[in-house]
Order: sequence, then C-alpha cells, then structure tokens
Amino acid sequence: MTSVYVTVGSTGFDELVRAVSTKAFLLALSQRGFTQLTVQYGSSTDAFRPPPSAKDQHGIRIDSFDYTDRPLQYIEQAGLVICHAGTGSILETLHSQRPAIVVVNGRLMDNHQREIAEELAGREFVVCAEPEELVQCIEEEKYRELKTYPRADPQPIGEILDEEML
Amino acid sequence: MFYLITISLIALLSARLYWEPSTGGNKVLCVVLGSGGHTAEMVRLMHGIDFERYTKRLYIVSESDALSANQIAEIERPLMSDYSQEYVVGRVPRSRQVGQSLVSALISAVRCLAATAWLLQSHLPDIVLCNGPGNCVIVCVLVMVLRVLGVKRIPIVHVESFARVRSLSLSGKIAYYLADRFIVQWSGLQQKYPRAEYIPNLV
Repeated sequence: MTSVYVTVGSTGFDELVRAVSTKAFLLALSQRGFTQLTVQYGSSTDAFRPPPSAKDQHGIRIDSFDYTDRPLQYIEQAGLVICHAGTGSILETLHSQRPAIVVVNGRLMDNHQREIAEELAGREFVVCAEPEELVQCIEEEKYRELKTYPRADPQPIGEILDEEML
Repeated sequence: MFYLITISLIALLSARLYWEPSTGGNKVLCVVLGSGGHTAEMVRLMHGIDFERYTKRLYIVSESDALSANQIAEIERPLMSDYSQEYVVGRVPRSRQVGQSLVSALISAVRCLAATAWLLQSHLPDIVLCNGPGNCVIVCVLVMVLRVLGVKRIPIVHVESFARVRSLSLSGKIAYYLADRFIVQWSGLQQKYPRAEYIPNLV
C-alpha cells in the first residue's frame, strides 16, 4: 500500500502525466511514505519524463507503460490512485475502495467529466484536483479522509427488462 | 444513399415475413456498445441480467472500437451458463467521426443505418438495452420504424451514463423520447426529466 497508480485511460493526458513526473511530485510522495509510482500514460508518451538521476527520484521506484488490459491488478495494489475523470477509471477505483484523486482534463470539449468529478468530490468519495495542485494534494493527505463508496447493485436493470418483457 | 435507405427498409419489412414470437424464457437481448466509458458501465449493468432468460445476446458494436470486443468476452464469460452460450457480435461502421465534413458524416450515418437495420432484421431482438453511445440513437430510431411498420414491438430500456449528473447527453436527449424506460443515475436529472426513473448505485 505504499504505491501510487496513475492512469489516464484509453487516450492521453499530457498535463497529468507531466505533473507526476516532476521532482517536486516525487519528493512529496517520498515525504508521505510512498515508495513506488506506476504510471499508465496512454498516448502521452512524450510527456512522461521522470528525472533520470536516482537522487532526483527521492527513493521512489518508477514503472510505466502505455496501456493495460488489467487495470484492476494495479488499482488493487495501490495505496492511492490518481486518475483522469473517465467513468471506467473512476468506477474501478471506487469499487476497489482505494482513495482516489480525480484530475479533470480541461482540454476536453463538452466537459461533463468535470460534473461527475465535482459531484463525487462534493460527496467526499474522491478528491478532485487540477494537475498543478497534485503536489499540494499529496502534502495535505486529504485523500485519507474519504468515505467508502456504496457497493453497486445492477439487479434493478434485470428487473426492468423483465417487466418490459411481460 | 437512397439505395441504402431503401435496402434498410426492405430488410426491415422482410423481417415481418419470417418472424415468429420467441417463446418462454428464450429471449434475444440487444445490447448497444460504444466507446470506453459507456462500455465500462454496460459491463457492470449486464451483471444484473439473467442470461438464462435472455439466452441470446446481440451486441451492436462500432467497427472502430477494439476495446469493446475484448470486453464482450469479459461480460459473457462469468455470466453465461450451459443454457445461454449464444451471443452474436454485430459490427457496424462508425456513425460519426470527429472532424468529418457534413456530407461525409451523412454518408457514414447512412452506412451505419443500413448495417444496423440488417443486424436488427436478422436477429429480431425481443428487447434493446442501451446507455448512450452515438450508435444507440440509430438503433432506437430503427426499433421505432419496426414498431410503426407493425413488424415487431421491441421495448427500449435506456440507462443514462453515470457520468451525466446535471445534463443529458445528446443521445440521451433523443432516447428520452424514444425509450420505453429511461433510467438516470443522479436525482438532479429526474427533476429536469420527469419521465426518467432515478436508480442510484447501478454501476
């Protein structure tokens, strides 16, 4: 539980990937007791430039890859998940009961991703942040006081289908 | 283009000739899949459905969507039993691409329409479940055509995306008028759209 998993989902998110490869971010992680950073950077390959020297990595081990078919295996091992505001990533993180910092991609058109991130943050299920606020988020450890998200129950959908078939 | 529309209509009408009502528990469920987030939610919704009742599933997937194909196998694996192993994946051309000109967008929409019409008439589902990708508008419209032509009455259940807290998606706004049941996952939407049913924590 001393690892952080960063995920941008099926596209890319340069600002987020850049923010988690800075010295300041790695320093904040190590000060809060994290030892491992795993980054799924999607198409933001060029934005992922962690500092090359071990000194600047502040003792954080860094792994990275573009995509994975099995995001859950990384989410479940993480003590903190930092994800883009896509529904898939948010739901996987909430149901794995991992603390999440959700970062909204301000470049997306018709930004309803901000709606869901802010709604969930308002109910204290996640922390919502801009890329440039991540260092501060880690330092303040607000993600430690989040509420547990209720278990999903898709049963009513089955019942509605059955009612319509009568 | 008119040629394609005519073909879709003939296809839909011809379905009337050899359609027999499906009996007992053997129902055909049509599921419309789209991109990333919508598919992720649909995977979760499908866990609420009894596959021994809906023994055949028709998945309508956009040709450009590679992820969904893997996810269908993922949906099916834990839920299928010995009695319910049949599922069909129908691929249709993408209805709309980012940055397309109006004319080419229209042509792709018609190609998508024709392919979807062909799938619907070949499998004649008993019920349609969709949750908001662009494709589902085309499916809903064709289901309405089947209804108006008197071929078959196929109920549509639309579940608006979990990501929609305060406003409906474009396809949601259209589906609101076409779906027999319209489900939203946030209470604020039900206040704006009174015909919607509010069910939290579905996904």
